[in-house]
Amino acid sequence: MTFETNSTDIHSPPDLQAVRSRLEGRFSGQVRAGSELLFGRDDSASHWATGVPAFDDLLGGGLLRGTLVELVGRRSSGRWALVLSALATATAGGESAFLVEMGEQLDPQLAEAAGIDLARLLWVSPRWLGDALASAEMGIAAGFPLVVLDLGLPPVRGRRVSPGAWLRLARAAAAQDTVLLVATPYRSSGPAAEQVVTAHRARPLWQGQAQEPPLLTGLESTFELTRQRGSQPAVTSVQTVWTVSERLESVAEPAVAPERKAHHRLA
Amino acid sequence: MLRKRPLMRIACLLVPLFPLAARLRSEPELAREAVVIFEGEGPAAKVVAATRVVREAGVRAGMSLPQARGLLPKLIARGRDAECERAAQSALLEAAETLSPNVEDAGPGQIYLDVSGLDRLFPGPAGEADVGRAALSAAAAQGLPARVGIASGKLAARLAAASPPSPRIVPRGEERAFLAPLRIEKLQPPAALLDTLTSWGIRTLGELSRLPVKKVATRLGEEGQKLHAAARGVDQEILLPRREDPVYREGLVLEWPLVALEPFLYSAEKALERLVRRLESRGLGCRRLLLSLQLEPEGFEERSLELPVATLEVKTLCTLVRLHLEENPPRGPLVGFTFTAQPDRPRTAQLSLFGPAELSPDRVATTLARLATRLGPGRAGTPRPEDGHRPERGGRTDFAPPPAPDFRPPERRSRGLLGLRVLRPALPLEVIVREEAGARQELVSLRTLMAGEAGVTSDEKVEKRPQIEGTVRVAAGPWRLEDRWWGTDGEEREYWDVELSSGVLARIYRDAKTTEWFADGLYD
Repeated sequence: MTFETNSTDIHSPPDLQAVRSRLEGRFSGQVRAGSELLFGRDDSASHWATGVPAFDDLLGGGLLRGTLVELVGRRSSGRWALVLSALATATAGGESAFLVEMGEQLDPQLAEAAGIDLARLLWVSPRWLGDALASAEMGIAAGFPLVVLDLGLPPVRGRRVSPGAWLRLARAAAAQDTVLLVATPYRSSGPAAEQVVTAHRARPLWQGQAQEPPLLTGLESTFELTRQRGSQPAVTSVQTVWTVSERLESVAEPAVAPERKAHHRLA
Repeated sequence: MLRKRPLMRIACLLVPLFPLAARLRSEPELAREAVVIFEGEGPAAKVVAATRVVREAGVRAGMSLPQARGLLPKLIARGRDAECERAAQSALLEAAETLSPNVEDAGPGQIYLDVSGLDRLFPGPAGEADVGRAALSAAAAQGLPARVGIASGKLAARLAAASPPSPRIVPRGEERAFLAPLRIEKLQPPAALLDTLTSWGIRTLGELSRLPVKKVATRLGEEGQKLHAAARGVDQEILLPRREDPVYREGLVLEWPLVALEPFLYSAEKALERLVRRLESRGLGCRRLLLSLQLEPEGFEERSLELPVATLEVKTLCTLVRLHLEENPPRGPLVGFTFTAQPDRPRTAQLSLFGPAELSPDRVATTLARLATRLGPGRAGTPRPEDGHRPERGGRTDFAPPPAPDFRPPERRSRGLLGLRVLRPALPLEVIVREEAGARQELVSLRTLMAGEAGVTSDEKVEKRPQIEGTVRVAAGPWRLEDRWWGTDGEEREYWDVELSSGVLARIYRDAKTTEWFADGLYD
């Protein structure tokens, strides 16, 4: 955003006032952060990138701020890898993130290898579903820009919660403009979710010919957008490949970037 | 050439009927009731202070409690509570310290503070009146109705505080004129001296000040000379500022022993509110809460409640106290309690114009305390990697994020690593293995062992954990893992990655020492 002004004119008060009035008029309602003056307007500010371009495309640019996005995936579907990826992107950008995870299943070494800045991550492990929802609400109220609620592996411990509790959580996220990603083994949040993505059964990728000992190299996940409020998206299904690190030890360089494959909706 | 030093200006903060005010600070719901504060036991109990309703009924300080009840049968009587009065005195001192660093504790309900040099903060001709109003507001914020007098000496300031209206300002050099109409009894002279002066027909300080100094000294001695100097507005008492660190303590002596938690929490919440108000006035938060419980018939218990970071949330503190007492109830009925806060500076946030927004440290502190309260200890924090090779290693440390960067870094693509959910503790498995001579081991199928099977104890509650079952479609392995071989807790494992017919991709191992099978991770 630039302004063409005659530098010799602005010293006279009337001209100065004129420039100011023009500035205020052009800035009014357009500039939301000081960084826009340096880097220009970022129209993707309403979306939060997960670091997986194919998945972000599926959601129309990333996780929408102020909404509850539900990611449904059974075991070995790539759901956990996507959660780690979203947390890595957020914390690498200098933001703090809040992870509510049932089951104490986070591996700090692997999380660090995945690119998560652990110092910016608050990891909470409740035992019961009710506590998990309450914890997520506390994280939203504390002002964390990204709150991830992962219900772990089935069976989810604790009694079912009413749809009202999910709606309350979604309203809290909307009030704080927080990105709330709910990763569940089965559909849970009901009508509170703005978008629902289902991670289908993934395909393990093995290396090795007929008689050679096999070696796991990755997992190919398929994500399908199964619910979207408002307009129908152009892309409804994408595939992503997750790769295995060097036996899950820390890696200095990033592994192969996720492949992008997109299946477009047939007309 | 020596410059004449301006006179010190001293404010006196006075709380009338202090024992009553201290009690009403702890039980504000009694403010409009007919309440007396008494001292002593049984029929010898004497009224010390009373609310306006009671005084209007004719009850006076010094009456016995039965006499007072005779005048007003529906009287609410409360004994003097040393803990309440001590806390109220501390709160009064802290209120004064919001205005001046030099504050003298002059006894129950009475504080002197040096207000010289405050004209920059409170400019103009009414500056001192504004100082007085600020002192009144600070005291009122601590729940104490105070009066203020400002003068060039302690005596004049005290007498000004005792005379309406409040704040009462005695201008510089006009102390003598202010004191002149006041009666001599205000200075509380010895009885013999007062009798002598009365016999001379001297009733006011003005009349006393007009007597010749030398003749007063000759006839009335040193006491008379001091009284004469005071009447002339010559105050030789200096301010003695307190130097000890404040103690943030609030408590209450209960009227009757409590055995249930709810009534105690009602009183505890009020005490915590007062404590937090005091901390807040000093820009502090509570990092640790000490709870002293006085039990019936005798004895006391002390509890210590740690908080992850300093907080000012009464609700959080109250919930912590509730949970602690539910888990560890006191040994007997409660007759009194005291909260002592260990203060700490709350963390502050530096806002950034171009970088990501930083979290409010106060909100984070409150959230951590609430999480600890709701989930129990050790369930919230920053992941902490640990040296070693076992996947289940790792723990948590306190959440203290570094400052946000000044500029938002450009977005990066994910490394795209496959996730692994660690199963803590590892799931015991039954694995069918086909082993042929000269060929490598082949895993055929596996399933999770249930409680009671093959050494799985019933208290492991395996049935409530994720189940793994199915025929093995692909298995990669084994590779060995050896960890802490030099110690007694060493591990030697053989790992496989297995794809099951159900689509589950798991990581399993066989313990080389016991030959038992476990699953310690699921790829996801």
